[in-house]
Amino acid sequence: MARTTLRLLAALGVAAAALAVAAGPAWAAGETIGGCVIEQVHYVEAEYGSLDALDKKALEKFEDDLEGCVEAPSPILPELDEIIWGGLAFVILFAFMWWKGLPAVKRAMDARSEKIRSDLDAADTAKTDAMRTKSEYEAQLADAKTAAAAIIDEARAQADQLRQDLQARAEADIAEQRARAAADVESSRRQAIDDLRTEVAAIAVGAAERVVGASLDADVHRSLIDGYIDDVAGAGTNGTSRNGG
Amino acid sequence: MADRSASDRIGGYADAVLAVARAEGAQAEVEDELARFADALRSSDELQSTLADSAIDVERRLRITEDLLGGRALPATAALVSLVVGAGRGGELVDIIDATIDRAAAGRNRRVARVRSAVELTADQRARLAEAIKASSGLDVEIQTIVDPSVVGGVVTEIGDDVIDGSVRSRLRQMRSGLG
Repeated sequence: MARTTLRLLAALGVAAAALAVAAGPAWAAGETIGGCVIEQVHYVEAEYGSLDALDKKALEKFEDDLEGCVEAPSPILPELDEIIWGGLAFVILFAFMWWKGLPAVKRAMDARSEKIRSDLDAADTAKTDAMRTKSEYEAQLADAKTAAAAIIDEARAQADQLRQDLQARAEADIAEQRARAAADVESSRRQAIDDLRTEVAAIAVGAAERVVGASLDADVHRSLIDGYIDDVAGAGTNGTSRNGG
Repeated sequence: MADRSASDRIGGYADAVLAVARAEGAQAEVEDELARFADALRSSDELQSTLADSAIDVERRLRITEDLLGGRALPATAALVSLVVGAGRGGELVDIIDATIDRAAAGRNRRVARVRSAVELTADQRARLAEAIKASSGLDVEIQTIVDPSVVGGVVTEIGDDVIDGSVRSRLRQMRSGLG
């Protein structure tokens, strides 16, 4: 703030100096030639009483003064009234600019500064967000790589396990088939033995039945029937069997 | 084992046969002749299958029954057998005769004891067997003898679902089971 004020004051001083230099000729040109001549005449008459009383030296001086009246105005110093009016206008303009322009410029500069600051903040925020996004992306990428590696490892482990399971199952199937084949052989052997035994028993019993049937005469039949009747009378003992519901 | 409908049908035929026999006033004779005919059927699988074969003309099957019973049994007995065979129930003739005898015995408050033996029982043996059954089980039974050579020797008695097996055949089977 103080720096801005100093700059303004310096600019004001430079402007005032330039105005004074520019106003010089106008100040010099503020006296007319006739007025200057009359003034010189009045001066001579006041000093010498009349022009005739002038000596040579005074006359030369009087001539120089008159020549001075017809010389051009000062190229540097302005006329006084120009200085006054110009200065007054300058002061009014300066005061007006100080009153209205400076706050507007300050507001514009403040707004500009604020906008730049906010843009910088936004840029910082965007940069921070970008960095965070980048970090997240890198983290996700790292996670993805880790997950992919884990999946590959798991798949490899599953493949190994599956291979081992298949191998074990195949071995178990082979063992089971061997056991079943052995059991079938044993069962067939036992079945053959049982069939043979049954067949032998049937042949033997059939032969016995024929022998017994041929050997049973009427007396034996009567004896068997009588024995059966005695057994039934004795509540079914001695060889008889009861079945049924 | 006949199913429910077959059992009802056999019972119906048995009631009809028994009613006809009573109406003819020759129930005992008809029962005895039917029992003997059933015995003959049991001893001949060929005869049973012939009377049950629907592919054989009914007239021919009736002619067989007339040849078997004509002049050897009462006309009522022959007519009743022809009735059953003519109705296409020749395959159930043995069951119908058994049911008829069972119902007749039940009408006299008795049970039927079907006695299988390799040789025919004498009258004395039948009477003693009936007394023995009554003594052991308290049942009054009528003895229906069936000559069955497969019994080999001894006797097999069936009273309803009860069986008293004293046959040589059963002993041979027991021996066969022990060997097998």
